Amino acid sequence: MSNLKKPHVTVMRSQLSRARGLGSGQAGVGHWWAERASAVALVPLSGWFVIQVFRLAGASQPEVAKWGARPLNTTMMLSLVILTFYHTQLGLQVIIDDYVHGKAHLPAGLLMKGIVFLLGLFGTVSVLKLALAGSSRGRIAAG
Amino acid sequence: MVEFRLPKNSTVGKGRIFTAAPGATNVKNFRIYRWSPDDDKNPVVDTYEIDLDKIGPMVLDALIHIKNDVDSTLTFRRSCREGICGSCAMNIAGENTLACLKPIRDIEGDIAIYPLPHMPVIKDLVPDLDGAYAQLRSIDPWLKSDTLPPPDSERRQSIEERAELDGMWECILCFCCSTSCPSYWWNGDRYLGPATLLAAYRWIADSRDEHAGDRLDALEDPLKLYACRTIMNCTQTCPKGLNPAKAIGRIKELQLERKA
Repeated sequence: MSNLKKPHVTVMRSQLSRARGLGSGQAGVGHWWAERASAVALVPLSGWFVIQVFRLAGASQPEVAKWGARPLNTTMMLSLVILTFYHTQLGLQVIIDDYVHGKAHLPAGLLMKGIVFLLGLFGTVSVLKLALAGSSRGRIAAG
Repeated sequence: MVEFRLPKNSTVGKGRIFTAAPGATNVKNFRIYRWSPDDDKNPVVDTYEIDLDKIGPMVLDALIHIKNDVDSTLTFRRSCREGICGSCAMNIAGENTLACLKPIRDIEGDIAIYPLPHMPVIKDLVPDLDGAYAQLRSIDPWLKSDTLPPPDSERRQSIEERAELDGMWECILCFCCSTSCPSYWWNGDRYLGPATLLAAYRWIADSRDEHAGDRLDALEDPLKLYACRTIMNCTQTCPKGLNPAKAIGRIKELQLERKA
């Protein structure tokens, strides 16, 4: 027989077995739809926010606090912040699915979701602080 | 992680230059990827100066001329030379297409010819498509019906039902689309790719097939189906002018429809 060194073969599983893999994960529809629904919802919310920022340009701190204390504005701001960060983690998960393979995939997703969750929570708390600070009228007037 | 650079043994070097015969007036340079499994050398790009007056109008004519008259070691697949077998799918001037359907005069300057991107190479312009064929096999690309056909006739379809299959039955499985898709490059082990998903929808849409639900079950996966990011390279590159992206979109619509 030939004394040529044969390369060690580690995968002899059939191509069909590899193609079928572990079968269907029975998931993906929800993520796909949530990505699109949140994107559509963010269009009017972002437009509203841009208009509000222009309207508030040059306003004083008490005027902005008063604006932020209105229930409608608080509702819109909370919707915007929560949906933005929800949409962000959906989108970043897609990027991680595309580019991070193997053992790093799960921790990368968890790390990303943790960071986005904290940022979103920070935004939410900030909106709430503005909303609740505005209600204590006397304190603002007293400075 | 995704590979942004070629592995060391895949970096492409400069190859030989085959000059045109003296007196040739209508010369075009064909720069062709060469790699052989028989030595340990890296791939190279050989340059062939071809007199266009001596050959037919298509890129495949140039390749056949090179193999017959210039360099018989050049290896590529071809069969029908009229765009129906899908054998001569390759990357020509940066675009996946069929060499037999690509006119030389449509390409300005030198013509770079590489195998279909991001597939293992068997030799020169011949890619290993075993994985892609197995993925096609995995979606059961045949009619599945529990109702027996009429004993004395074929299974019938209305004209409207038959029209649903237009734009899909024409696929010749050249895999130009799948190998043009970045999602397939990065996740080709799990993402089925546009060619296979087009074939899957062809059977989901067939009025004679009775297993659309099973087929949708098998596709409902974050990567098998949803690794499609609607990049649309598939539709742009299809040498038969088909629209795999639309078929994938229809599968996603049906996945949503059956949830509500």
